[in-house]
Amino acid sequence: MVRRSSFSIFRSVITALFLREVQTRFGTKKLGYFWAIFDAMLMVLVFAGLKAAIAENAMPGVDFPVFLASGFLAFFLWKNIVSRSLNAFSANSALFAYKQVKPFDTVLTRVLLEILVSTMATLVFIAIGLYFEFEIAVQDFNMVILAVLWLILFGFGFGLMSAVFAHFYETFGKIINVIMTPLLFVSALMYTVDSLPPVLRELILYNPLVHFIEMIHGYYFTALDTKYVDYEYMLYWTLIPLYIGLYFYVKGEQRILST
Amino acid sequence: MIALRNVTKYYQTKHERKYILDNVTFTIPSGVNVGILGRNGAGKSTLLRMLGGIDFPNSGHISSPNSFSWPMGLAGGFQGSMTGRQNVQFVSRIYGKSEYEIKKVIESVKEFSELGDYFDMPIKTYSSGMKSRLSFGMSLSFDFDYLIIDETLSVGDKNFQQKSKTALRKKIENCHILLVSHSMPVLKEMCDVGIVVHNGQLHYCDRIEDAIERYNQINE
Repeated sequence: MVRRSSFSIFRSVITALFLREVQTRFGTKKLGYFWAIFDAMLMVLVFAGLKAAIAENAMPGVDFPVFLASGFLAFFLWKNIVSRSLNAFSANSALFAYKQVKPFDTVLTRVLLEILVSTMATLVFIAIGLYFEFEIAVQDFNMVILAVLWLILFGFGFGLMSAVFAHFYETFGKIINVIMTPLLFVSALMYTVDSLPPVLRELILYNPLVHFIEMIHGYYFTALDTKYVDYEYMLYWTLIPLYIGLYFYVKGEQRILST
Repeated sequence: MIALRNVTKYYQTKHERKYILDNVTFTIPSGVNVGILGRNGAGKSTLLRMLGGIDFPNSGHISSPNSFSWPMGLAGGFQGSMTGRQNVQFVSRIYGKSEYEIKKVIESVKEFSELGDYFDMPIKTYSSGMKSRLSFGMSLSFDFDYLIIDETLSVGDKNFQQKSKTALRKKIENCHILLVSHSMPVLKEMCDVGIVVHNGQLHYCDRIEDAIERYNQINE
């Protein structure tokens, strides 16, 4: 029997898990494609509609549906990475019967899949934006991409940490799921931080997602800036959960495998 | 060869620790087919899982230069939402097979397991017999030093049992087996040596017949 390097085993496992996730997500139910864009599309329609009904454009120089779409796509990317990572262990536990498959691989695979799904959703949005002639031009493309990649890393670290904690304390997973919906309203998705009264502004800036969304918006639209973005704060929220997640994962891997 | 060094494995129940292995140091020699006997709950399956590298001792080490199959058993090992075919694809991929090889594996597993249309149905619709037919059929397509088999040789009808035994006999020309079974004729037929798991200890017997005798004594 030929011995394979651990990297080549790792790569085989990630490929196998990825194709399996694609099969279950899109293969059996064709609706999978629909759900991939549904969340963000619904939010854009609802809030763009609301806005149109109650006020004229409060954000000069910004095409409001595009503002909504860019924020919500990023938000749902993060949210889906976290909530799909949360269930990664339990959803794949039977596959741990094959010793090549490690729990970490299942989280990584789900993150990769969410990146793919989100990219597809973004392309659909861009197509719609072009067709309806929205103002979708990006001010600083590279910085937007950097913000999104950073957001993915934040989601991965936070998701891994949550998955490990949720495995040992079920309540933790429930708490994470419960806070996702309110997060939607306090993540600077339908408004800018600048538009808030100072008291609220100070409070909302404790939410790390606000900084990521503001960074994306600030670099996307010429009319907006990134003056409230605290890069150091974002870095803490990226590295600390990632470190804690990896630390407890390494300690707990055998226990996760054997349950 | 499989070496166990000071291996302790227990399960924590509400009131006490239930020991499966209590500080066991032990070597299973190379080149033999091993039958594993023990009463229900003695820890045979846990022992197999540890040898297969998917469960771990609470303390001590298990080491072996050999490769092991996944434990083939009546329970678990499959994700219910995947079809038989998807599962074969998955396992082939983690073992690094090329797409061409995967096609061949699928053909042979489909034929051997006699699942028919069920091969493309979710595994949660399978009976436990069908699951072990799939698992056993898959294992025939891969190369291991040891096949880990947990009670699966007595599934299916007479015809299928006969076919499995023939296939296994051919397979063990090139590898060895670790076999848990409650069927003494199967153990006698397939195994050279025996291990009896009892009260947290392993008792090794050079001849499978001696192991069976010892097991019968325990049951008296």
